Amino acid sequence: MFDRISIRYKLIVLLGLSAALALLISSAITIYSTYLSESRSSLRVLHQLTDVISENMRAALAFADAGSANTMLASLRADPHILLAVVNDESGRALAEYRSAGLSTAAEPRFRAEVQGRILESAEALRREDGFVEHIDNDFMAVVRPVFFDGKPIGLLVVVSDTQLMWAKIRELVLLQAATSVLTLVLLLFLSVKLQSLFTRPIMNLVAAMQDVARTKNYRAVLGSDRRDEFRNLYDGFNAMLADIRERDDQLSRLATTDALTGLANRRNALDVMQTMVARAQRKDEPLGVIMLDIDSFKNVNDRFGHPMGDLVLQEVSLVLQASARDYDLVARLGGEEFLVVCDCGTQEVTIAVAERIRAGVEGRQISGPAGEALQVTVSLGVYSAVPRAGAEDIEEMIRAADKALYRAKEAGRNRYVVA
Amino acid sequence: MRMVLWVLGLLCCVQAPWAWAGDEERKLEAVFIGRFASYIEWPAKPRDRFVITLLDDNPFGSLLDDLYRDKRIHNKPIELRYATRLEQVGETDALFITLTSSAARAAAIDYAQRNGILTISEAKGFAESGGIIQLDFIEQKARIKINHGAALKSGLRIGAPLLTIATVLRGDKP
Repeated sequence: MFDRISIRYKLIVLLGLSAALALLISSAITIYSTYLSESRSSLRVLHQLTDVISENMRAALAFADAGSANTMLASLRADPHILLAVVNDESGRALAEYRSAGLSTAAEPRFRAEVQGRILESAEALRREDGFVEHIDNDFMAVVRPVFFDGKPIGLLVVVSDTQLMWAKIRELVLLQAATSVLTLVLLLFLSVKLQSLFTRPIMNLVAAMQDVARTKNYRAVLGSDRRDEFRNLYDGFNAMLADIRERDDQLSRLATTDALTGLANRRNALDVMQTMVARAQRKDEPLGVIMLDIDSFKNVNDRFGHPMGDLVLQEVSLVLQASARDYDLVARLGGEEFLVVCDCGTQEVTIAVAERIRAGVEGRQISGPAGEALQVTVSLGVYSAVPRAGAEDIEEMIRAADKALYRAKEAGRNRYVVA
Repeated sequence: MRMVLWVLGLLCCVQAPWAWAGDEERKLEAVFIGRFASYIEWPAKPRDRFVITLLDDNPFGSLLDDLYRDKRIHNKPIELRYATRLEQVGETDALFITLTSSAARAAAIDYAQRNGILTISEAKGFAESGGIIQLDFIEQKARIKINHGAALKSGLRIGAPLLTIATVLRGDKP
């Protein structure tokens, strides 16, 4: 299903998911880090409070003054988060105690048991003047500090506080983080909708161009781009591919229209081109000259010198034909050793002149074989010239007339032209 | 005779808890003398010892000797002296007065004030009479009364933590 979704939406979804994941991870880390720092900070505050109380409590403990100790602890009422505070003398008896009205009777036994457990676990730490025990969990935190007098422990101070302030700060942060994350995500999604086109437009343009080429078969199209990134490479690759196709097309076209051995137009192409030349000559009421020729005794050449020599002769004769005809004349190999030349605006005089040039050129051509053998060949030519008459004259008739003249040239002794 | 013996025996039984309570208070009293000193600053004196003198009856027996043997106050080793008359007191840092006569106590207070000596007693009205620290025990709980004016006259400075837990007289009134 994901394959069917447009690349544009895929990009937006991927960007959105990445952003969401990044925000989630960073939020989780931030919140956890805040929990740790707030815990430490809360405990630090409690330590400071305990330090002050224990300093003031020293005298009360030193003189076993429960009244003063209770008065000092009662001042903790000012802080609603302090749940419990106890001062024990050196024998472990409670000298004074403060219990907040907000301390839950259900939770109190757990607090006391937890603190007592910690005191027992850390008895060694509490024998040092700088020693302390601390505890923090989801519900409460506590600090236990020994009170020393003249280097001797004379009592223990325990202060228990709730963790509401800490959780309030964390809740605040979580809300802020959530709001910021949502806002950031919305902004990112908005930006990705806007910015995705930077990536998708070049691709969509390329897709459209490819579809257009496929539909129109116009392989001469060139896709332009002013980009300097990988999309430029993509476009260049596409254009190179089109160029290859064009070249292959041209090659195929050439193969389809030219004779592979001589490079002259092949029979099929010659007839097509001649059709056009006839139509124009008819339209302009101009003459068209047709020369049919073939190589005299060509079979003997093949028999005597082999087919490779025969091919060489055909190629040499083709060169003479191309040199003798004018640039706008049609020169074609019809098959075997038979050739056709169609002279545009070919009056009889012009056509005869071309035919004579061909004949003389071939006769005078020295052909050297691959084994060093020397050869000379001649051609016989049939010449026909007329203004094509609409409906009456057609290509076949003109070629037939020239062909008959060629036959007469052969009969007359070869190496000559005969006019039909 | 049997009745007398029975009554005497009854009196002994009744008295026993009081005696036990008195022992505990004596122990606390003995400890408190040293602790008071920790919260008080004396003017600089050339003595290399911290001297505690008991004037008149010694209710502590050997308790003070046991408690303060090898101990130090203000980083000075403690010397205990026992005097029966004011003239025997001499140079001392703290004077625990058990004199029963108010006139004798007044003389001792005057002497102490002139010589920068901390005076402690459990006699009633001691602080009001110019003594510095009066120590009472009510149901084994200590009640400390300090005459701050007297302390200042003696050149002594009493630390705030001790003042905080005591009833403080400025002059002869709280």
